[in-house]
Amino acid sequence: MAEKFSELTYKQRLEALCKTKMQQTKEKQEVLLVMDQDDHGRILPPPELREITEYMGPSGEMVRDAKLNNFKPKSNHPSGGFFGAKVCGENFNLFLKDHPVYVNPMSSLAGGYMAYFMGYRDPSWPPELASNLEDEQRKYGIYPGIGATQHFCQDMTIGFKLGWGGLLRKIRRYRKLNPEKSDFYDGLEQVVLGVQDWIRRHVDAALDMARKEKNPTLRRNLEEMAEINEWLVSKPPRTFREACQWTVWYQMIARMYNGSGSMGQIDVWLKPYYERESAAGTLTDEEAIFHLACLLLNDTQYYQLGGPGAEGKDTTNKLSFLVLEAVHRLKAPANIGIRVFNGLNPELLRRGVEIMFEDKTGFPKFLGDMGLVEGFMKNGYSAQLARQRVYSGCHWFAIPGREYTLNDCVKINFAKVFEVAFWDMMNDSEIRPSVDELWRRFEMHLCRAVEVTKEGLDFHMKHMHKVFPELVLDLLCYGTIEKGLDASNGGVEYYNLCIDGSGLATVADSFAAVEQRVEKEGLLTWSQLAEHLKNDFKDAENVRLMLSSVPRYGRGGTRADYWAVRIVKAFTRFVKERPTPAGFNVIPGLFSWASMISMGQTVGATPNGRHAYAPISHGASPDPGFLRGGSAPTAMAVAVASVQCGYGNTAPLQLDMDPGLARGEEGLAKVEALIKGHFELGGTMINMNIVDKKQILEAHQDPSKYPNLIVRVTGFSAYFASLSRNLRQLVVDRILSEET
Amino acid sequence: MFYPDRCIYCGNCLLACPNKAHVVNEDDHIFLREKCKACGKCTQTCYSGALVLVGREMTVDEVINEVLRDKVFYDMSGGGVTLSGGDPIVQCGFSQALLKKCKEIGLHTAIETAANCQWETLAALLPMLDLVMMDIKHIDSEKHKNATGVSNKVILDNAMKLSRTKKRLIIRVPIIPGFNDTKSEVEAIAEFVKKFPNLEYLELLSFHRLGESKYKALGLEYAATNLVIPTKKKIKKLSEAAGKSGIKVREN
Repeated sequence: MAEKFSELTYKQRLEALCKTKMQQTKEKQEVLLVMDQDDHGRILPPPELREITEYMGPSGEMVRDAKLNNFKPKSNHPSGGFFGAKVCGENFNLFLKDHPVYVNPMSSLAGGYMAYFMGYRDPSWPPELASNLEDEQRKYGIYPGIGATQHFCQDMTIGFKLGWGGLLRKIRRYRKLNPEKSDFYDGLEQVVLGVQDWIRRHVDAALDMARKEKNPTLRRNLEEMAEINEWLVSKPPRTFREACQWTVWYQMIARMYNGSGSMGQIDVWLKPYYERESAAGTLTDEEAIFHLACLLLNDTQYYQLGGPGAEGKDTTNKLSFLVLEAVHRLKAPANIGIRVFNGLNPELLRRGVEIMFEDKTGFPKFLGDMGLVEGFMKNGYSAQLARQRVYSGCHWFAIPGREYTLNDCVKINFAKVFEVAFWDMMNDSEIRPSVDELWRRFEMHLCRAVEVTKEGLDFHMKHMHKVFPELVLDLLCYGTIEKGLDASNGGVEYYNLCIDGSGLATVADSFAAVEQRVEKEGLLTWSQLAEHLKNDFKDAENVRLMLSSVPRYGRGGTRADYWAVRIVKAFTRFVKERPTPAGFNVIPGLFSWASMISMGQTVGATPNGRHAYAPISHGASPDPGFLRGGSAPTAMAVAVASVQCGYGNTAPLQLDMDPGLARGEEGLAKVEALIKGHFELGGTMINMNIVDKKQILEAHQDPSKYPNLIVRVTGFSAYFASLSRNLRQLVVDRILSEET
Repeated sequence: MFYPDRCIYCGNCLLACPNKAHVVNEDDHIFLREKCKACGKCTQTCYSGALVLVGREMTVDEVINEVLRDKVFYDMSGGGVTLSGGDPIVQCGFSQALLKKCKEIGLHTAIETAANCQWETLAALLPMLDLVMMDIKHIDSEKHKNATGVSNKVILDNAMKLSRTKKRLIIRVPIIPGFNDTKSEVEAIAEFVKKFPNLEYLELLSFHRLGESKYKALGLEYAATNLVIPTKKKIKKLSEAAGKSGIKVREN
């Protein structure tokens, strides 16, 4: 009992917080079964408030969600849904009112979020607003992004300057100037009032807990927490801890409102607070690390560390290292990237690589500044602006507060386009099939797929603000409040909409296979090939192996490598040759997120020997097993660098490496050389896992054995045990293939 | 090489082989290695990868092409090209031509060799080399001969001669249980090389069994089947013993 009344160190408190986090994760794994996405810092609602719902997840397995059963949104539409700024704001306000408070006395920051507002939007799109594009979108396996939310980045410094009270005043001031936009301002206002009320309830809870708390450290902590939040209800943050707490409120409502996890340069916007207090002697590094850890435990937002400022000077500072250290101590999933460029403080990169190998949690990621900046400038932007486009999501970048992007929401399934082209050719009795003809038709259909996607983007841009505007992100953008326009509706300065291609290796290897086996060697006729594809290689394993044993994309110097580059060039050309019909700039990239499984489920057998409905290849990655006889991080690094679209959006390199690779100083330097080398070749992003093969196999058999094992699935990292079996299998295949 | 567990009994090899080296039934595949002339025809039709031809002929330019694909990583890491083996000395003409080309391009070059050759052969390569990694397996000539089939005289002579050049030199000792894994044996090697002015370090390479499956696939007897992989602790102890001579020692 004596301990109960003694002071606690930050270390003890962090250990307690990590323990709680593990319990919460375990509970999530038990209740929600699978989570094929970021772990998120989300906490389950208390059992009496839980309503379990099921829906189809991205990997084709049913996933569950727990909703708050005490909140019922009001509808303003015959469909039963709710659409438009005012009612969305009002409903979110009510949602926050019904949302429980969460105060962990060990944490320096109040708050925890328990549910997603998006789950109550049913239907999420007004049925009368149908586009006539759906047939073609389905035909080409397009994820059109219509109705997609967030996936761009606000500027946190706006919030730090104004606080919630200042934001409210700003909304009310501009409401007077734009009276015709009252619906939009009503929505924004409701969000701010909702969060203020929510914060206030935490003040009360903290005070109440403080009165009952016996431990002096925790009592003091709760009292401080109450005082800080009393201030933050309306005033801007003054201290480092207050800035962290403000960030927590913002990130929680952003996440709950529509899933946003984009944050940007934490080591830039928290720096003034850190430096001021650090210089004044009122903030030790230990305390700063603790606050950062509490912030990072609250949610797994996307942050960039280091990298050039607008004028090209490195932004790395002491705080960059403290953020790394905070995650290092937590060993929880985190999505933080180090932006590597020639001027980067080499110690930051070194520390990042060290932690990557020591913790083996897929943290941090590495971002290739040169390819990003030079690429983005090709869209007609200045170097200054390109450098300010910062890491803020799975595989993507955005200019904070000034750019709307739909990043990671819009994808074209190359494998599906290939399938359409193949059968289009085979069913044409007028012509003789050939690789040239197949390519011609592939190009034609790819071109059409890109056009359909662009038309879909226009459709989204035309209607989204009337359906579900970005009421949380709008608060911290330049121009949205001022003009009374949602970010999806002309509120911000720049519009660069994303179109990603998926399944590159599947198609490149397929072209190489038909070229060699059918055309060059004549081992198979076109119609025999077609029959085998139709029958999914039934009783023809030898034919399947004959096709799949053609040298693959990734090996370097093969025909498949040639086809991969050719496909990407064509794709890039179609995306870039003109903006959308309404005039929005579009930027190509290669990425499939975790959708390789669901995308594969629509595609029959392919000539690379892939079985019908099996997953397609991941983003720009070579297919697992592309290089028989050795693990080949450098071959992968060269291959993925060769297929960059080159306009500032990414085609990430996914590497799963053995822990033994970075032994000692020399090993670390080699891994750094690999990272820098890939970026020197024009690479844009590296997601790395350090995996013990034996451990991952055991965890796949029995996930409960390794509840803490974290892997970087694609752009995001997650607890391995939380993933669906399908997605776990893909991760395992990728890792094991390096052995055979 | 033949990996029976990959075979799907398609019978392609049967048709491809001019020497009737394959007997394939519905669920059995016997490879008559003595009939195989290594023409490689069967491997071209073996899509399951059960039959693999080891080695292929390449020109210097073809090798250089592959090498250059990774050039950026050499630039970033200060790394380069290492000729390894077997022993590159065995194909010294090719090695010489390849190294020459590497140097023309400005690549850092290294060689891994047992140096069991005439000094002139090795000396011919030296001008194009930045680093030499050579094995010394045992100081005792008799024991060396028993294990490797040759005396170590030429090797030790070559090591001495190498020590008089200005080339960076790494001496490596594969630690084989029962052959050279005692303190005194390792110490003797350390004593021998400690005066080498160009020695970077002595490296102890622990015995491993990574070659076993390849031996099996080649139908060769794996002589080291009964050898036990030394513990890290043991290697550490040997390394400390070698270190007493005052030279830098690394473990791998």
